Amino acid sequence: MALSLQAAREALIAFQRFGLGAKPGGPAQIGGGAKAAVRAEVETANIAAINDPTLPSYPKACSESQKGHAEDLRQQELAARVDKHIAAQIGFVERLVIFWANHFSMSVNKDDAIRGTMGQWERDVVRANVLGRFGRMLQGTIAHPAMIAYLDNQDSIGPNSPIGLEWGVGLNENLAREILELHTLGSDGGYTEADVTALAKIITGWSFVRSWEADGGYNGGTNQNRGRFIYRGNWHEPGPVTLMGKSYPALGQQQAELVFQDLAVHPATAEHIAFKLVRHFITDEPTPAMVNPLKQKFLQTKGNLMAVSLALLDLPEAWSAPLTKLRTPYEMTIAQYRALGARYENDNIWAFSEPLNALHQMAWEAPTPEGHADETPKWLNPDAMRLRLDIAEFHNRVCVGYYQGNVVQLADRLFNAALSKQTRDRLTGLEYPNDELVILFTSPEFQRR
Amino acid sequence: MTDNPAKNATNPHLRCAAAEGCAESRLLMSRRAMLGVTAGLFSWAYMPRFAEAASTDPRLLVVVLRGGTDGINMVVPLGDPHYVSMRGSIAIPAASTIPLNSFFGLHPAMPKFGAMFQAKDAAVVHATCVPMRNRSHFDAQDNLESGLPGKLSANSTGWLNRLLTALPAGAPVKTHGAIEINDAPLILRGPAPVLGWSSTWFEAYENPGLRLVRSLYRARDQEMYDMLERGLEANRLAGGYNDGDISMLRKGFRGAGRLIGSPNGPRIAVLAVDGWDTHSDQGGTTGFMADVMAELDTAIDDFKTAVGAAWKDTVMVAATEFGRTVRTNGDDGTDHGVGTVALLAGGAVNGGKVFGDWPGLAPNQLYEDSDLWPTTDLRSVFKGVLRDHLGVARNLLNGPIFPDSAGATPFRNLIKSSAPAGASSAVASAPVPLRAEPAIARYRREQRA
Repeated sequence: MALSLQAAREALIAFQRFGLGAKPGGPAQIGGGAKAAVRAEVETANIAAINDPTLPSYPKACSESQKGHAEDLRQQELAARVDKHIAAQIGFVERLVIFWANHFSMSVNKDDAIRGTMGQWERDVVRANVLGRFGRMLQGTIAHPAMIAYLDNQDSIGPNSPIGLEWGVGLNENLAREILELHTLGSDGGYTEADVTALAKIITGWSFVRSWEADGGYNGGTNQNRGRFIYRGNWHEPGPVTLMGKSYPALGQQQAELVFQDLAVHPATAEHIAFKLVRHFITDEPTPAMVNPLKQKFLQTKGNLMAVSLALLDLPEAWSAPLTKLRTPYEMTIAQYRALGARYENDNIWAFSEPLNALHQMAWEAPTPEGHADETPKWLNPDAMRLRLDIAEFHNRVCVGYYQGNVVQLADRLFNAALSKQTRDRLTGLEYPNDELVILFTSPEFQRR
Repeated sequence: MTDNPAKNATNPHLRCAAAEGCAESRLLMSRRAMLGVTAGLFSWAYMPRFAEAASTDPRLLVVVLRGGTDGINMVVPLGDPHYVSMRGSIAIPAASTIPLNSFFGLHPAMPKFGAMFQAKDAAVVHATCVPMRNRSHFDAQDNLESGLPGKLSANSTGWLNRLLTALPAGAPVKTHGAIEINDAPLILRGPAPVLGWSSTWFEAYENPGLRLVRSLYRARDQEMYDMLERGLEANRLAGGYNDGDISMLRKGFRGAGRLIGSPNGPRIAVLAVDGWDTHSDQGGTTGFMADVMAELDTAIDDFKTAVGAAWKDTVMVAATEFGRTVRTNGDDGTDHGVGTVALLAGGAVNGGKVFGDWPGLAPNQLYEDSDLWPTTDLRSVFKGVLRDHLGVARNLLNGPIFPDSAGATPFRNLIKSSAPAGASSAVASAPVPLRAEPAIARYRREQRA
């Protein structure tokens, strides 16, 4: 079905800005109702869930991580993630999952406790709440062994706790600092260094059971709770703690839970998340006119992420701002898989990871807690633009070997009337269709979002 | 494609970073007081320097050895009476080493570096460590690259980027800039623009398709066009696709040499070398670590060839986040331990010397009864190179580049002659941020203004 130019351009925005790229015939399927189609995806029940009974439960992921199976779990989870990306019609909810996983960025390279549980965390914490409450995602993340291991809270001990006094040990502020700076209020969000220390005290005792603790029965560890979250009361700093001017009573584990409830609906958190969503999806330079409607929706709904995500779609700029950002390397990879209807084979995960490592965006391996960047220059730079050509060609061979189809027809089905004449004219006449596919997959239509 | 050499390119050192002991060792450190350096250390440093013509257009290659390099088995203290007993099964026999002086021998896997040493184009600084003296890969690598006395935040800038920011306009290093090879390391993170070039094994996408992509970008997207053209040009300078079937590491060193040796190329390059985390089966004269050293040795020699006539103006400094325990562990390996070596090579290096104060390997001479006692702050090594090779003023070294480092004075005599032609002004030419301003902080600042 040939769409009008206007309808095809809106479909382009749906698939590029908000989705993971069209599959053949995608624009024709959503017809003239691009925004309605994206909205419908958000409103589909259980849209984010991965229904695969072979994927591990929380207890299993935690224990298997300590039995030498962390890498197997990572590969299995990653394959399920990629398949879910490919299956989505538009992929806006998948993009939200990627966004939130990056918001709470961790790296599997730090510890097997992360490597083996990150997929389970993403399914049971991120996907489960991606259209639900931000506060639940926050709580679920901070109480997960992956995040505790990633930001070193397993050994943070209140200096005045029984164990702190006995061992003469103290706080590790890493997790507390990043909760305030990266996960909730955001940098310059009205907290002080004293608040970082206060939060570090509040989350003392939030730990997980390491293998030597499970093996030897130390510190509350058993074979049953191996690798799982554990609250160690005798490591917890006693007494009430004042954070951001409010005193939180000495309630043990619940002290931190009350703090997270407040942080999750704080105006600075709402602003931070609104800003990040606009920056990720629309422009490197969000304005208050774009940020404030999302911030207000976040506050009105106490962090209902479905409402906030729909508010993003309702911004006028969502459908009018030019596509000045560039697909990230990860999004480009997935979009190419979707266009070709194929991906790497499970026993060749290197065919997925090597290109992404070369472009500095391997999934679940961001080098710092800030996660992968959202600034366009991070991806749109000389070395990356050269490599994208070589890597597009590599993915073609991984996915389809030698392409037998007609590249112009494929381009028409991916972009409909939004395919430019300049691009279309260059997709034909080469000796090898694979070379024509590279032009398609590195064209501005395919790269810009 | 299954025979691709990259198939098994996982990161064993990063997997090992999760090995038990990495996190626990921080607890150990915090329990113990830092002790002062004892008197009576064997010293051979501070020899008179050679008088030679000054470099006018200095080149610098910084190599980050990731994983924690065992300096004790790389530059072997043969004259220390405790070396053989401490190292046991993995001790390097004196007769197999390459003689450096009456006390030290070089591991036999590094003959090319040994030849440079004997030609007085290479030197070693022994018993160095980053200021934090921390045994966590993540924290210690951050510390090496941030150049800060301790952990500041998740988004600190790197000291090489601060150098670029602080230098006055007109300095060749400032004008020609720096390039990151393969990695996007923290050491170059910050507001000063940095180039990138990657050595990859992907086949090059070539004409006629390449010509069509370039013409498409020129017709439709000037920004993508400019970036691609610059990327292709950088790759031409680096000789990226012409090195045949050699490792990515060697391709990286060759590319770095060609780039910084080009009259119009960058003057600083940064590379990372993985594989030093030798917890088990480290090997002795042969084996795992010998292979890693041999690869580095070959790569440094490749670099020398590639940099060509600019070798006389070049300094390579290779440093690692920490060393290994003096004693072997139960798996014929060594665990994280602070003191280790830094390597220098290049025509501008005051070579043929092993610099530093040797702390000794007797049990009572070890740091925390475990490690080689660090007698030189690694920042002193970097500062010595920057001052004497690039002519960076002391105020810049102690202020914006290595804050709070006045106690770590620039190491003397590392460079054949001081470099007055490159001397910088003592005042930074631009504000030099210690941390990158997060996007949300900038947004908030602009809203307040």
